[in-house]
Amino acid sequence: MKRLKAEFTNSLQSKNLQTIKPETRKREFRVNMLRMMIKTFVKFALVAGIFFLHVPSYAAAPELPKDIKWLTNDSDPVFASQEAKRGGTLHAAVMSFPMTFRVVGPDSNGSFRSAILDNHLSLIGIHPNTLNIIPELATYWAFGKDKKTMYFRLNKMARWSDGTPVTAGDFAYSLEFMRSKHIVAPWYNDYYTREIDRVIVFDDYTLAVVATKAEPDLYLKLGIAPTPAHYYGKLDDNFVRKYNWEIVPNTGPYQMSEFVKGKHIIFRRKNDWWGDELKYFKNRFNVEKVIFTVVRDMNMIWEYFKKGKEDEFGLTIPEYWHVKSKTPVIENGYVHKIWFFNDTQQSAMGLWLNQDREIFKDINVRYAFAHAMNVERVIEKVLRNDYFRLEHGFVGYGKYSNESIRARRFDLEKVGYYMRRAGWDRGADGIWGKNGNRFSVEVTYGSEAHTQRLVVLKEEAKKAGVELRLQNLDSTAAFKKFLEKKHDVAWMGWSTSFRPQFWEHFHSANAHKPQTNNITNTDDPEMDKLIDAYRNSLEEEERIKLSVEIQAKIHELGVFVPTFMVPYVRHAYWRWWRFPEIPGTKHSASLFDPFGSMAGGLFWFDEKIYHETKEAMKKGEKLRPVTIINETYKMKSITMKIE
Amino acid sequence: MIIMRLNPLTIKKIKRFKSIRRGFYSFLLLVLMILSSFFAEMLVNSRALIVFYNGNYYFPVYESMNPGVKFGLDYDYETNYRQLQKRFKEEAKGNWVILPPVPYNPYENDLREDRFPPFPPSFAEKHYLGTDNVGRDILARLVYGFRIAIIFSLLLLLFDYGIGISLGSAMGYFGGKFDLFFQRIIEIWSNVPFLYVIIIISSIVVPSFFTLILIMAFFGWIGMTWTIRTVTYKEKAREYVLAARALGASNSRIIFRHIIPNTISVIVTYAPFAVSGGIVALTSLDYLGFGLAPPTPSWGELLQQGWIHMDSWWIGSSVIGAMTITLVTVTFVGEAVREAFDPKMYSTYE
Repeated sequence: MKRLKAEFTNSLQSKNLQTIKPETRKREFRVNMLRMMIKTFVKFALVAGIFFLHVPSYAAAPELPKDIKWLTNDSDPVFASQEAKRGGTLHAAVMSFPMTFRVVGPDSNGSFRSAILDNHLSLIGIHPNTLNIIPELATYWAFGKDKKTMYFRLNKMARWSDGTPVTAGDFAYSLEFMRSKHIVAPWYNDYYTREIDRVIVFDDYTLAVVATKAEPDLYLKLGIAPTPAHYYGKLDDNFVRKYNWEIVPNTGPYQMSEFVKGKHIIFRRKNDWWGDELKYFKNRFNVEKVIFTVVRDMNMIWEYFKKGKEDEFGLTIPEYWHVKSKTPVIENGYVHKIWFFNDTQQSAMGLWLNQDREIFKDINVRYAFAHAMNVERVIEKVLRNDYFRLEHGFVGYGKYSNESIRARRFDLEKVGYYMRRAGWDRGADGIWGKNGNRFSVEVTYGSEAHTQRLVVLKEEAKKAGVELRLQNLDSTAAFKKFLEKKHDVAWMGWSTSFRPQFWEHFHSANAHKPQTNNITNTDDPEMDKLIDAYRNSLEEEERIKLSVEIQAKIHELGVFVPTFMVPYVRHAYWRWWRFPEIPGTKHSASLFDPFGSMAGGLFWFDEKIYHETKEAMKKGEKLRPVTIINETYKMKSITMKIE
Repeated sequence: MIIMRLNPLTIKKIKRFKSIRRGFYSFLLLVLMILSSFFAEMLVNSRALIVFYNGNYYFPVYESMNPGVKFGLDYDYETNYRQLQKRFKEEAKGNWVILPPVPYNPYENDLREDRFPPFPPSFAEKHYLGTDNVGRDILARLVYGFRIAIIFSLLLLLFDYGIGISLGSAMGYFGGKFDLFFQRIIEIWSNVPFLYVIIIISSIVVPSFFTLILIMAFFGWIGMTWTIRTVTYKEKAREYVLAARALGASNSRIIFRHIIPNTISVIVTYAPFAVSGGIVALTSLDYLGFGLAPPTPSWGELLQQGWIHMDSWWIGSSVIGAMTITLVTVTFVGEAVREAFDPKMYSTYE
C-alpha cells in the first residue's frame, strides 16, 4: 500500500539516476525494502484472491457530462532559466548495466528504470514548488462529481517519438497492457485492476480515468501514462523476451539512441520535441546527449570525475564533501561545489521500538529510551554537523506535517525521572534494572556504514544507564527480521510517499503479525480511530487536521526515536555547467537529473566557459575556487548554521 | 603431558630450540605479549588503577562501576578518571588518581570540540597511536583485539587438533572401511567453500565468539586429520607397534602411548602456523564485516578503517605493524620448533 502510488511518486522523487547516489547504501536499503514490500503485498493479493474479472475498458459511445469544469494551470511560476542554452553532453556513471530495458516484468525493477520512465510523460504533472497540478500530455482536466473520475483533454501536439500522435486510445491501452498476464508483472496486474476501474474514451483527444473508489488526492492516481498501442499491438507469451532490449517509443524529451551492453547507454535530445514550448518545459532538458557509462566502483567514479571523464559527482556524504574534495581540481577552481537545500518528504529514519517486547510495554521506559539517545552528539561529532535532527517521522509533507513536534533530546535527568517512575533502579554496573532484568536491548541494523554512528550512541546511552547491543545484519536479513517483529529496536528508515501513510505503520490491523510495516506493534484504539478517519476522509482540510493529530499521537506514544535527515543535495561539478538563479526546486533530489519531468533538466552546458576552463587547465592557470550554498528552500525548523 | 616428562631427547630438543636465537627470542616476545594482554586491564583502561579519595583507597579496575557521585562529581554514570585526576590536581586536597599507562578503554569515544576524528597520534593526549574514525584509542583496540585474536586462534587450534588428531590417528590405525568412509567424508567436506558458508551464516545471525570458533573448527579439522592419518599409517607399520601389540597392549594404549608420542614432532611443528592462520582468518572475516559483532575491538575492523581512511596513515600502519610483528614472531617460533624437532640435525629449510 505504501507504494500504491509507485508510478507517480517515482517521478515525484525524481530518482537521480545518472549519478551515483551519495547515500547509495541507505537508498539501496530502502529500495530493497521497497521491493520486499511490494512482494509482500503481491503475496497478500494472491492469497486473498482479489482478482476481479473486468468489464472491457472501451465502453460504447460514451457521452461527456455537461456540468464538468475544465481546469488548467498556466499561472504558477516557472523554475527554469531563460538564459539556458541547448547543447553539450552530460557524462554520467551508473554502477551496473540494466538487466533489461523493459519497465515491467521480471528484472525490470532496477535503478536504471527511472531514466527510461522519466521520458514517458503522464497526463498531468505536479509543480515542484507549489505542488499544484500542471499540464503534461493533457492540457485540461476536470474532476467528476462522483469523486472517482477525472476527465482529461489531451494536447493535440503530443507525439510519440516515432511521430505518431498520442491519442486517448493509448491510455485505454495502458490499462489493457498493465492488466495483461503476458507482461508477467503481478503487482501491476493487481494495481491496475484494484485501483483503476476503467478508461473512458470520448474521442481521440478526450478521455476519463475512473478509480475503483472515491479517494482523496485522486489526481495522484489517475494521471496515468499512455502506452503506445500502435507499437505493441496484441501482446503474447513472447512479451518478456521480445522487449528486453527494445527501445519503446516515448513522449519525453529524450530517447535512447544507442547502447553497448555492459558498457554504455546514450540518450539523445529530440530535435523538435512537441513539449519544447510548454510553459513548464521551456528552457529545460538542455543537453544534447546524455551518456551513461558503467563504472562498477564508487572510488573509480570519483577518480574518473577528477579526470573530467564524468561531469558531476554527488558529495552528500560528509567525508567526500569535507575531506576528499580537498583535491587540486577543486582547489584550482576547475570544479565547483554546490550545497542546495530542498524541502521534500524526509525518510522516517530512526529507532523503532517493538512494543511486543516486555520492556517496551511501559511507556515510561520508552520515553526514557528516547531521552537516552544522544543523537545530537552523533550529528556533531561524527557527521560533522552535516546531517540534521529529524524531529518526527513525517517531516517535509507540507501542511500535512506537524511542525510543533520536537524529538526528545538526550537528557540524563529525564531518563532518571521516567525510569524511577517505572520502578527501575540503577544496578551495580550502572545499567537500570528491575526484578533481575537489565535495561539492555538489541539494536538491529543493516548497514555497515552506520556502525560508526551506533557506537557513539551506545557509549552515550551507557551514561544514561541503558545498554545497547548492536547487531549488524545484511540489509535484507535485517528487514526480514523487522517484518517478522523479532527485533527489540530496529534502526531503519522508510521510503517516502507523497502524502503521509499512517495505516501501514501504526494501525492495530497490522500489529502483532509478521510481514506488515507496523514494526512497533502499535495497538492503540484511539490511534486506530484517528487513522480510520484519516483514511476515509475526502476533505483536504480534515485530512490535514487529522494528519497533524496522528503525528502528535505517535510522538506521545514514544515508539519511534527519530534520528537524522538530509534535507539537501550536494554536488561537485565541472565549472562549465550552469544553473538557474535558484539552482533547483523544493523537490529536487539531484541538480543533475537530466530527465525528471517534475524538476529535472534545469542545468545547461556553457561552451564558452568550457573552452575557457580547458585553456586555463592547459596553461596551469588557477581559477577562483567556488562553493555555492543555496538556502532558498531550507526548512525553517533547521536552525543550525552552515559554513 | 608427554612433553613434560623430560626425557633426554626432549631436553635435547629444548636445547636446540634455545640455540636458535631468532626463534627463541620471538618465543619470549610472543609469550610476553600474550601474558601482558591477559592483564590488559591494568595497562590499557579508562578506569584508574588506584584512587585515593578522602582517606579511602579505591581500585576501580576490578571493581564494579563507580558512579561519578562517589568521588564528589555531579553525575550518576561511570566516573571519568582522566577528568577526576585533573580535578584532584587542581583542588590539591591530597586526593590522587593513578591511571594506567594508556588511560583509554577500547570502546569509549574520545571526541573533541571543533575537530573530527580520526585524530593523529599524540603523546600529550596519551593517544600513542592516534584514534580511529569515532575517536577510539587505536592502541587500546589493538591490545584488546590482540587478546581476542590470540585466544580465538588458540582455542581454534585446540578444537582443530582435538578432532584432527583423534580422527586422523583412528583412520590411520584402523584403516579399512572406517578409513575409506571418512576419506570420502573429508573429500566432500573439503569441497564446501567455507568462507561463503561463514558469510552466509553471519549475515543471518551475528556469530558470537564461541559460535565463530565452532563454525571455523567445523571446517578447520580436515588438514590435521589428513596429516595425522598419513603419519599414523607410517608409524603403525613400525616394529615397536608390532612389539606393543605382541605384548597385548590395547588399541587405545598403542595409539595414545606409542603412536602419538612418535608423531608429536609433526603436531608441534604445525601448531604455530595454525595459530597465525587463526589470527589471519579472524582478521580477514572482521575486515569483510562478517566476524565478531561490533563494537568488539578487532584488527580486521581497524584494517578496514585504514583502507577507507588512507590519508589517516596511523590507522592502517598501526594495525599492519601489529599484524606483521605478531605473524613474524609466530612464524619464527614455528620455524625454530620445526628445526628443533627435526631428527636430521644439519638440514636447512628454504
